[in-house]
Amino acid sequence: MIISVVSGKGGAGKTTIATSLAHIFQADYYDLDVDAPNGEYFLQPENETIRAVSQQQPEINESLCSACGVCTKECRFNALYKVANHIYLTETLCHSCNLCREVCPEGAISYKQASIGKVRTGHSGKTGARTIIGDLDIGSTRGTALIQDIVQRIDSPGTVVIDGPPGNSCAAVAAIKPADLVVLVAEPTPFGIHDMLQTLDILKDLQKSVVIIANKSQGDEQLTSVLAERGLKLAASIPLKTEHHKALLNGEILSQSDQQICRLLQQAVAAEIDKP
Amino acid sequence: MIRQIAVMSGKGGAGKTSVTAALLKLLPEVVAVDGDVNASNLPILLTLQKLSESSYYAMDVAHIDTESCTRCGRCAEICAFNAIDLDEQGNYSVNDECEGCAACAWVCPEKCISMVPHCSGTKYLSQLENGFLLHADLIPGEDNSGKLIASIRKQARTVATEKSLDLILIDGPPGTSCQAISSLTGVDMVLAVLEESLSGLSDYRRLAKLMESFRIPHLVLINKTGIDPELGKRIETVVAENGGEIVARIPFDMEIPRSLSRRETLLDLPAYRPVIENLCEKLFPHS
Repeated sequence: MIISVVSGKGGAGKTTIATSLAHIFQADYYDLDVDAPNGEYFLQPENETIRAVSQQQPEINESLCSACGVCTKECRFNALYKVANHIYLTETLCHSCNLCREVCPEGAISYKQASIGKVRTGHSGKTGARTIIGDLDIGSTRGTALIQDIVQRIDSPGTVVIDGPPGNSCAAVAAIKPADLVVLVAEPTPFGIHDMLQTLDILKDLQKSVVIIANKSQGDEQLTSVLAERGLKLAASIPLKTEHHKALLNGEILSQSDQQICRLLQQAVAAEIDKP
Repeated sequence: MIRQIAVMSGKGGAGKTSVTAALLKLLPEVVAVDGDVNASNLPILLTLQKLSESSYYAMDVAHIDTESCTRCGRCAEICAFNAIDLDEQGNYSVNDECEGCAACAWVCPEKCISMVPHCSGTKYLSQLENGFLLHADLIPGEDNSGKLIASIRKQARTVATEKSLDLILIDGPPGTSCQAISSLTGVDMVLAVLEESLSGLSDYRRLAKLMESFRIPHLVLINKTGIDPELGKRIETVVAENGGEIVARIPFDMEIPRSLSRRETLLDLPAYRPVIENLCEKLFPHS
């Protein structure tokens, strides 16, 4: 059973809910918010092992290259350019698509492994379950590739909780695709509702079942009515409280510091897990 | 000379859009960019009138003409994105993983693969009371958000030049990957909004490294302060170590999200108006 926690809007509380679910269900926790991974501050991984993740990237053999410029013309990402009889690669634009290697008449382009990030696997000092943290190299644009690399290797026998990235682009989709159940965390504000609706479009396309949880709530009327128009309803609502913020900013797991919320989340998600 | 300033944070929900909207309302003249194209929230807080919109075609995608395909499979072999499916009848087709690289079209011996335009969003130019806003809606789930940001930023520079406006203010996306990089390249200054929490601090560190690699100076606004003074001290040290200067602080106050829910900005809360006015003076000394 793979549960992906997403939100559309950043700061809605994905990590708060994901770490709580990892605690409640003793689940393995996958942090796929790879360019801002924060779950570790809550779960406190121990004994981590590190796996480097790399991706193929073109390398130009200067002694073979005739600087004919075919690769720069054919590359659809403008990742290759020619200056003074030299071909250069802009790594942040390259998609590792193999085209330049194919088109080069001199066979001067080969592919080499280049680092995009690492995956740290350990055990949470707080839940005992495994923690798998995706950690993108700073300056790398290959966040989605790193997410896909980790997703392909999910091997946990029991329940898995994925903490997804914010937004509604390809990175979010990569974190949603493997899910059996999506937990959508919505902040009941105009921002939160706007971004949640976009995420709901993605979930509909991918035909994912969803549990919607309101967080930082100071009133759910607007959110509930928007959801009702789509035949959906809130499974739980967590109020905005100074005590919660205080617990979170120091890395406490919300379901551990608040028993009531622990029960609320357990009921909201367990009902869906038990469905055949 | 056009000056470009980006409001960034690393962590989502730190307060980028709230701060940007308030700054925009104070400036006499400005071209604004909403760089968070797949969760575009700046228009929600601003009074604007759409002047024009256009579909955004980031990339062509591959299309296989099944009639002339000989099913040799070279396209599926070369594709780096698993974007070519083979169905039970043995027909090849392109799925939505296609990134538009055209490698399949190049290797196809029958030349039966064509590259066709693919819409990945809509771009807008809107009129503000004191300038213009460039924004966009990426179609949910689409790729190429970084390219879309680059495209509306380019348009912002054109508008600024045409209208003789010398300031572009960018509301950045969360994170430090492709969209953040696309929002940052070539800006003169970053305002980093740092949420006072362990997560906020961690994401600020990543952002600071990214800014350093681009050699972009930054100022810092600390948001949601006052809950844990010890953490506050630690954050001050880290900001100083990373060459940032703290220029504003906004406390954790439940009235702020309530006010945002009424679509107000920080300027509408008397306690915070002076904070934003001071910040504006620091960021734009001659505006």
